[in-house]
Amino acid sequence: MFGILTVAIFLPAAMGLPVYVLGRRNIRLARLLGVGTTAAELVVTLIILGVFSYGIGGFQLAEKVDWAISFGLTYHVALDGISLPLLLIATILSFLAAYGSTDLIKEREPEYYALFLLFETGIIGVFTSLDLILFYVFWEIVLVPMFFFVGIWGGPRKKYASMKFLIFTYTGSVIMLFGFLAVYAWTSSQGNPTFDYTELVGRVGGLALPLQLAASIATFVGFAVKLPIVPFHTWLPDAHVEAPAPVSVLLAGLLLKMGGYGLIRFNLLFFPAATNVLWPYFAAIGLVTMIYGASVAIVQRDLKRMIAMTSINHMGYVLLGAFTLNGIGLSGAVFQMFNHALAIGILFLMSGYIHEHAGTRNIDELTGLRGKMPLTVTLLVLGSMAAMAVPGLSNFISEYFVIQGALRASYFFAIAIVAPALTVGYFLWMLRRVVMTPGVGARNEISLHSLAILAAFLIPLFVLGAYPGPLLDSIIRATTNPLAPGGP
Amino acid sequence: MSLIDFTPFISLAVFGLAVTPAGLLGEGKARRTIAPSISMIGLFLALGSAIWLGFSAAQTPGPGAIMSTDIFTYFFTGVLLVVAIFVGVASLSFMRGDPNEAPYFGLLILSTLGMIVLAASLDLILLYVGWELMSIPTYALTAFRKSDPNSNEAAMKFFVLSALSSALIVYAISLVFGISGSTNLIAIANTFGSITPDVRPFGVLAIVLFIVGFGVKMAVVPFHMWIPDAFEGAPTTIGALLAAGAKMAAFAAAFRVFIIAIGPFHVEWHSIFAIIAIVTMTLGNLAALMQKSFTRLLAYSSIAQAGYIMIAFATPNGQAIAGGLFHVLNYSILKTAAFIAATAVATRLSISNLDSFNGLAKRMPQTSINIAVLFLGLAGVPPLSGFFSKALLFAGAVNSSLPWGGYLAIAGLLNSGFSMGYYGWLIKRMYFDEPSDGSRIPEPRSYMAVLWAATALTIIIGLYPQPWIQLSQDAANALKVLGPQA
Repeated sequence: MFGILTVAIFLPAAMGLPVYVLGRRNIRLARLLGVGTTAAELVVTLIILGVFSYGIGGFQLAEKVDWAISFGLTYHVALDGISLPLLLIATILSFLAAYGSTDLIKEREPEYYALFLLFETGIIGVFTSLDLILFYVFWEIVLVPMFFFVGIWGGPRKKYASMKFLIFTYTGSVIMLFGFLAVYAWTSSQGNPTFDYTELVGRVGGLALPLQLAASIATFVGFAVKLPIVPFHTWLPDAHVEAPAPVSVLLAGLLLKMGGYGLIRFNLLFFPAATNVLWPYFAAIGLVTMIYGASVAIVQRDLKRMIAMTSINHMGYVLLGAFTLNGIGLSGAVFQMFNHALAIGILFLMSGYIHEHAGTRNIDELTGLRGKMPLTVTLLVLGSMAAMAVPGLSNFISEYFVIQGALRASYFFAIAIVAPALTVGYFLWMLRRVVMTPGVGARNEISLHSLAILAAFLIPLFVLGAYPGPLLDSIIRATTNPLAPGGP
Repeated sequence: MSLIDFTPFISLAVFGLAVTPAGLLGEGKARRTIAPSISMIGLFLALGSAIWLGFSAAQTPGPGAIMSTDIFTYFFTGVLLVVAIFVGVASLSFMRGDPNEAPYFGLLILSTLGMIVLAASLDLILLYVGWELMSIPTYALTAFRKSDPNSNEAAMKFFVLSALSSALIVYAISLVFGISGSTNLIAIANTFGSITPDVRPFGVLAIVLFIVGFGVKMAVVPFHMWIPDAFEGAPTTIGALLAAGAKMAAFAAAFRVFIIAIGPFHVEWHSIFAIIAIVTMTLGNLAALMQKSFTRLLAYSSIAQAGYIMIAFATPNGQAIAGGLFHVLNYSILKTAAFIAATAVATRLSISNLDSFNGLAKRMPQTSINIAVLFLGLAGVPPLSGFFSKALLFAGAVNSSLPWGGYLAIAGLLNSGFSMGYYGWLIKRMYFDEPSDGSRIPEPRSYMAVLWAATALTIIIGLYPQPWIQLSQDAANALKVLGPQA
C-alpha cells in the first residue's frame, strides 16, 4: 500500500505545476511555494527519521504495489540504513539550495522552481526505489531538469556544457539499463521474471559468472559516469562551472551521490560473484580518481572549478570505500556521501555569493577577502576545513573509515593517504591566496540571510563530527549485514 | 464472425467514397466544412468500433479465413486510425481554403482503409489489394501541391520505388503460391514447414523478395533512400501519414507474413533481420545527427526507429514481438505528432533549416514544449511511453535463445544514447538559443489539439504502462497462435 514514502517522493512533483502556473502571475509566489515545498519535504523526512527503527538492519517502511505486472514491474519503495542518510541529505540540500536560489536566480523563476521540484522527486525516488526499472525511471527524471538548469540558467558556455552533460550521462544510463535487462532476461528464462530488488538479491547469486561480469560492468559504467570516475569525468567540470551556484550544489551534492548509491546498491551488493573478481580494479579506479581529482584541483585558477575537482577527488573515496568489501570501508563510503554533500554544498554556494559580490571567481584576483568580507571568509575557512576532513568534523570520520577499510583490504591501498594530503595542500594554498593576503577595498559582506544559509550546511557536519550516533550506527548495520555471508 | 466485426472497414469504405462527392454539395461555408466533417465522423466511428470490437468480439480466425478479426487486427486498426485522426484533425487547419479539400480527405480515408485491410489480411491476394489501396492514394497525396516542384519530385521518387516494391511483392506471392499451392498464410505455413530441397531455393528467393518489397515501405536500410526526400517534399501532414501510417501498416503486413507464413521455414532468415536491424538503427541515427532540415531529421529518426522494431523480427519470441508492437503504438503517436509540430512551425518558419528552431520556445511555447516531450519520448527517456516499449523490446532480445539477441539489445541501447545527440540538440536550440526574431507566432488550435493529445497519451502510457503492455502481449499472442505451433 501507499504510505509516507510515496508522499515524500511525489509531493514535490505534484507541487511543480501549481508553482509554475501560479508563479507566472506572481514571482514571489513561485519562490514562496518552491522553497515552501522543499521545507515541507524536509518536515516529511524528519517524520520518516522519527518512525525509522535504528536498531535493526534490512528494509523498512516498504510500500509495494503492482505497476506493470505483465512486464514484471512493481512500484516498490523502502528505506534502509544506506538510503536513509541519502534521503536526509537530499531534502536538506534541496531546501538549502532552493532557499539560496532566491538570492542567486533572477530570471524565469517559475520554470526554475517547477523544474527544481521535479528534480527533487527524481532524486528521492532514486534513493528509495527497489525495482530496477522504477529506479531507472527516477534516475532519468533527474536528468531532464538538470539539462535545463545548466542550459537555461548557466554561464557563458552553458550550451556546450549542457549538451555534454546530457550525452555523457544518458549514454551511461542506457549502458546501465543493459545490465538490468540482462538480469531480467535471466530471471525470465528461469520462469517468474521480475525487476524487484529484494527478490533479485536472493536469486542473482545463481547467475553464471560471465553474465554476472557483463551485467556488473554495464551497470558500473552507468554509475561511474555519474560518480564520476576518471576517465568519464570530463562532463563534470564543464557542467559545474557553467551551472548557477545552487544548481552546482544539487549537482555535486546529490546527482553524484546517485552514482555512489547505485554502485553500492545495484552493483556491489547485487553481483557478489562478479564483485569478488572485479573489486580490485574498481577500487584501483577509485584510488586513481581520488589522486587525479586532487592533483588537478591544485592547478585550477577558477575557484568554482577547483571545488568541482574536489568533488571528483572526494567521490573517489566512495568508490574505493565501497569496493574494499568490508563493512568499515563501505559504511565510510556511505557516510562520505552524506558529508561530502554538505561540505561541497557550502563551498559551491559560497563560490556563487563570492562571484556575485567580488565580481570574479579567479583565485588570483580574489585577494584580501579577510578585510572585505570577514564573516563570509570565516565560513569559507570552515567549509574548507570540512572538505579537508579536519578532525572534529564528520568528514574526518568517513574518510578515516574509507582509508582504514582500504588498508584492511590490501596494504597497496596505503597510497590512498596521498589524497587527503594533496587536498589539504590545495585548500590551504587557495585560502592563503584568497584570505590571507592584504587587500584594498571597502567592506562588502554578503547578506545576513545568505550567511545563515551557508552556516546551516555546517551545523550537521559539526554535530555529527562530535556525535555520529544513530545515523552512522544505522549505516554500519545496513552495510555489515549484506556483506557478512560472502564478503572476505 | 458477422458483418458487425467489420464495422471499421465498412465505415471507412462508405465514408471514404462519400467524402469526395459530398465536397461538391452545398455552397460557401457549408461547402468547405461538409467534407472534413464527414471524414472525421467516419474516422471516429471506425476508431470507436475498433476499440469496442477489440474488447468484445476479437476472435481467432477459423481455417481458410482470408481476413482476421483477432486482437492483432484491432490493435493495428486502432493505432492506424489514431494516426489518421491526428492527420485529419491537423488537416482541418492545413487544408483550410484549399479547393481540393474534399478529394484530399477522401484519399486520406481510402489510404487508411488500405492500411487496416493490410493489417487484417490472412491471404496474400487480399494483402496485395490492401497494399495497393494504401499506396495509390498516398502517391496522389504526396503530389498534392501540384505547383510545387519539390512535391512533384518527392511523389515521383516515392511512386517509382513503391511501384517497384509492389512488383517485388507480387513476384514473391507468385513464388509462394507456386511452392505451396495456396495464398492463405496459415496454409502456406503448413507447407513451408516440410519444404522439399528442390523448391527450397525458390522459397529463399521469395523471402528475399518479401524483405525487399516490405523493406521499401518500412524504410529499412538499404531501401530507405526515398524517405528523406519524400517526407521533405510531401505536404507535412502527409509526411505524418507516410511515416507513421503507411510505414506501420507495412510492418503489420510483415508481421503477418514473416511470423505466420515464413516462421516454420528452416532457413536462417532471422539473421538477415538482425543485420538489417543493427544497420538501420545505426545509420538512421548517425545520418539524423547531420541533418540541417527538420523534416529530414524526422525522416532519419523514423528510419532509426524502424530499426528498433526490426528487432522483433530478428528475435521473434513473444516478448520481443509484444515489445515491437508496443513500440509501433508509441512510435506512431510520437512520430505523427512530431510531423504535426513540423506543420505548425512551417506555417511561418522554414522547416528546411534548423536555425529557425533557435529560441522557438519564446515564439511558439506550446509547440516547443510538445516537441520537447515528444522527442524525449522518441529518445526513450522514462517515464514516457517510448522508454517502456524499448525496454520490453530489448528485454525480449536479450531473452532470446538466438545468439545475436544480446548484441541487438546493446546496439539498440547504444543507439538510444546516440539519438540523444540530435533530439537533445533540437531541444537545446529551442530552449537555450536566442531567436533571431522574438515575435510570437500564432499556434493554430487544431495543431495544438493534436500535439497536446499526443503528449498526454505519451505521458499516460508511460506512467501506467500495464494495460498497454497487456494489449501488446495479447496482440502478439493472437499473431503467434496463427503461426507454427512448436
